[in-house]
Amino acid sequence: MDEFEEILQDFLVEAFELIEQLDLDLVELENNPDDLDLLNRIFRVAHTIKGSSSFLNFDVLTELTHHMEDVLNKARKGELQVTPEVMDVVLPSIDMMKGLLEQIRNTGSDQDGIEIEGIVAQLKAVLSGEDVHVAEIEDSEIEDTLEETESGYENPLDDEGEIDISSMSEDAVEAEIERLLKKKQEADKARREAKIAAGESVPEFQAPVLEEEKPKEEEKPKEEEKPKEEVKPKVPVKAEVQKKPVTTASAPATTSSQKSVEQTIRVDVNRLDHLMNLIGELVLGKNRLMKINDDVEERYEGEEFLEELNQVVSMISLVTTDLQIAVMKTRMLPIGKVFNKFPRMIRDLSRELQKKIDLQIEGEETELDKSIVEEIGDPLVHIIRNSCDHGIESPADRVAKGKPEMGVVSLKAYNEGNHIVVQITDDGKGLNPNMLKVKSIEKGVITEKEANTMTDKEAYGLIFRPGFSTAAKVTNVSGRGVGMDVVKTNIEKLNGIIDIDSEVGEYTSMKLKIPLTLAIIQALLVGVQEEYYAIPLASVLETVRITADEIYTVENRQVLRLRDEVLSLVHLADVFDVEKVFDNSDHTYVVVLGLAEAKIGVIVDSLVGQEEIVIKNLGEYLKGMEGIAGATIRGDGGVTLIVDVAAVMHVAKEIKSHAVSTEAITSKKVRNGPEDYTVMLVDDSKTDRKIMKTAIEPLGIQIVEATDGVDALTKLKNSEEEIDVMLVDIEMPRMDGYTLASEIRKYNRYKGMPLIAVTSRNSKSDRMRGVEAGMSEYITKPYSVEYLANVVKRNLGLE
Amino acid sequence: MSGKLQEVVQKQREQQNVSPVSDDEVLQLVSFVVGEEEFAIPILTIQEIIKPIEHTRVPRTPPFVLGVFNLRGSVIPLIDLRLKFGVTAKGKTEDTRYIVLKDGVETAGFVIDRLNQAIRINKQKIDPAPEATAQDKSLIEGVGKQDDRIITILRVSKLLERDF
Repeated sequence: MDEFEEILQDFLVEAFELIEQLDLDLVELENNPDDLDLLNRIFRVAHTIKGSSSFLNFDVLTELTHHMEDVLNKARKGELQVTPEVMDVVLPSIDMMKGLLEQIRNTGSDQDGIEIEGIVAQLKAVLSGEDVHVAEIEDSEIEDTLEETESGYENPLDDEGEIDISSMSEDAVEAEIERLLKKKQEADKARREAKIAAGESVPEFQAPVLEEEKPKEEEKPKEEEKPKEEVKPKVPVKAEVQKKPVTTASAPATTSSQKSVEQTIRVDVNRLDHLMNLIGELVLGKNRLMKINDDVEERYEGEEFLEELNQVVSMISLVTTDLQIAVMKTRMLPIGKVFNKFPRMIRDLSRELQKKIDLQIEGEETELDKSIVEEIGDPLVHIIRNSCDHGIESPADRVAKGKPEMGVVSLKAYNEGNHIVVQITDDGKGLNPNMLKVKSIEKGVITEKEANTMTDKEAYGLIFRPGFSTAAKVTNVSGRGVGMDVVKTNIEKLNGIIDIDSEVGEYTSMKLKIPLTLAIIQALLVGVQEEYYAIPLASVLETVRITADEIYTVENRQVLRLRDEVLSLVHLADVFDVEKVFDNSDHTYVVVLGLAEAKIGVIVDSLVGQEEIVIKNLGEYLKGMEGIAGATIRGDGGVTLIVDVAAVMHVAKEIKSHAVSTEAITSKKVRNGPEDYTVMLVDDSKTDRKIMKTAIEPLGIQIVEATDGVDALTKLKNSEEEIDVMLVDIEMPRMDGYTLASEIRKYNRYKGMPLIAVTSRNSKSDRMRGVEAGMSEYITKPYSVEYLANVVKRNLGLE
Repeated sequence: MSGKLQEVVQKQREQQNVSPVSDDEVLQLVSFVVGEEEFAIPILTIQEIIKPIEHTRVPRTPPFVLGVFNLRGSVIPLIDLRLKFGVTAKGKTEDTRYIVLKDGVETAGFVIDRLNQAIRINKQKIDPAPEATAQDKSLIEGVGKQDDRIITILRVSKLLERDF
């Protein structure tokens, strides 16, 4: 049983791969009906699937593919002209084949659900005559793709008249089809005999054979009985069918070996995902290692082992980066996987909409992450449908406008830095910004006031609003007002950017800019007060440094004039309710974010830099917190939150920004005399603390004591009193004075606090280290009590 | 399967069934102090107990969610039980600990004032939560009596459930 399962899985994987290529080839075939290579390829797909399915006892599938194979075989020998009418039968039969395969994948059987009699009958009709009369068959699989074809040939069934099939029962339809078929076959046979009598050579049906020229004699009798026998799908032609895959298996093999064969192994996606997670951890480890290396370098400058450490760290960092790229590449798929289904879609759409549309595909070999390939399919379907329905005009209109009758939709993919760009362009009627505005006001999507201030680009963005549709009438294809909304949400989910460009009467072009991968991203780290946040670099368009007076307030909203654009602004501190601990300086930074078609400026206090981060989720408990997309672990082991750009844009609309505050923070306490000041003494020796105390106590200043760096840091953070000055010993257990100073200086809140080193280490290099760590003064032991008191007084401004 | 093998398997099963029954009578708990009160949680729900480490605030959460912290590469939420139980906030002390609890896939760290001890308590000495109202929704699983102490046993699944 297991072995069977394994074979079945292999079969399904192979079959779906084959079919993907098949759709593309078939549409191509319609344009190039004489391309023998193409025909051979298509034939082989049907043949391979037939062979495997008969081996696996999928009788219905075997039956269907057998007939397809017959038709294709005839076509490949030039005995059957591939007309759009023939394709209208072949394409739905492929759809049905897909349906059957999906059913097999889901239920393990092809026995119930999909009825193939109708399509088999059509295939047989194609096979036996030069002409097809396609009946509307009640079958959900093919309902919408089937069309009544106009027959250009002499039809033996012409005298039958139109039959209302929808009113008949299934059995009755079957019986009717069988009756018609027989009639037609008789007519065919009669005609053939007549031709033979006239001395013409008559093409015979041929089963697939290795050499195309060699007709198989024993096939002939089979044909005669085939129609009767095979209308019932559950009676397979076993003996014939099972032999065939064996005899012809070598045919595809020999042909394909002439092309360069790609060497591939199928790997479970879960394994790749696991690998990617491990790499993520490794990248975090690497980041941390590099940070530690920097610290060590600073501390033991000039030591010999440093160079060795440096070499190891840079090698590991290099290998990690390469490894990450390599693993990312294993997850990459060509975007052609998505593009492949569009030629077929365009073909069906153009027939349905009665337009002439040509699809041009470029860059289908461009690769991107599997998860993104999966997400990008839907938006593209919607955009292309939209282009065909709303963009491209009807042939008559086009001619009237002096454009070629055939409309062109072009699909182009290319790499741009860390992004992939997918561009969809149609040479249709273009977007009219004014019309878009009028429509939106009508539908209540925007107000008149909003419309007046909108730029053309913003107006184009209206098509992505929920509930918006420019189609005068709702067609089957589009106009239900959901499609483009889906595009926007899906692209936003991928941190992508949509850029629309259009000219009325000329073209509409949509550019989707999507990051290459999702798990490990480049991020811009920004500081807001004392907190840090990571913004996906994919969404960052630019950063600008501005002064407070460059910000204007329009209707309670802050805006910035950036070149020829007006950009609305929001404080990240307001979005995330960040506690305000220090004043903004005169200068501030604006990070310009772009997502889908929207843009916003986010005000932050500092830009830390660009870093590669691994996205981790916040777990069930904190899942879906607005504005936060996840978290990452930084080089120092701390957690930094990742900004959800889409949510921030949404939240920004609700926040009434207030002007950049240049006033002093009111919470600062009023100081009248020395008793309102507090000094902290940090020394591990009780005696030393005592000496310091005696020097300072007479000043009347409050005193807090700490025994080492760690203690001082804890007390500094938790103390209710604000510490105004700190006297620090250098040699201390647990955390020394240098480390303490650099730790304290990490907090913006304490950036201005005087740190006075009190130590017996007085060499020049010690002093230098002290300054580097952030000490503001250096007092060497022994010192006089008066001197210490004076230094403290001076630093507090009490003189 | 041969008869003998079946016998052996059967025997093993019986043994396995017997041992937990006797153990079930006694519940192993870890007790700790938050504010003035003593609480306890089943020992098996505790992943680990650590000393306080740095955490990052997560905006737009209630005050009792202090943020997230890094536990050997995993990002884990940190919840202050003082604030959650309506006791006034207090700075960290030498005794402050984070208890990391796990229930299914959900993990979170909880700040407690002081760790007390591991206790074994007989199931019969545990009474259901005093308030009969909405038992399933209560944070309290039951109240245990040992010697002259009263220990509130917390429902871990409820602690780990997001309620905002």
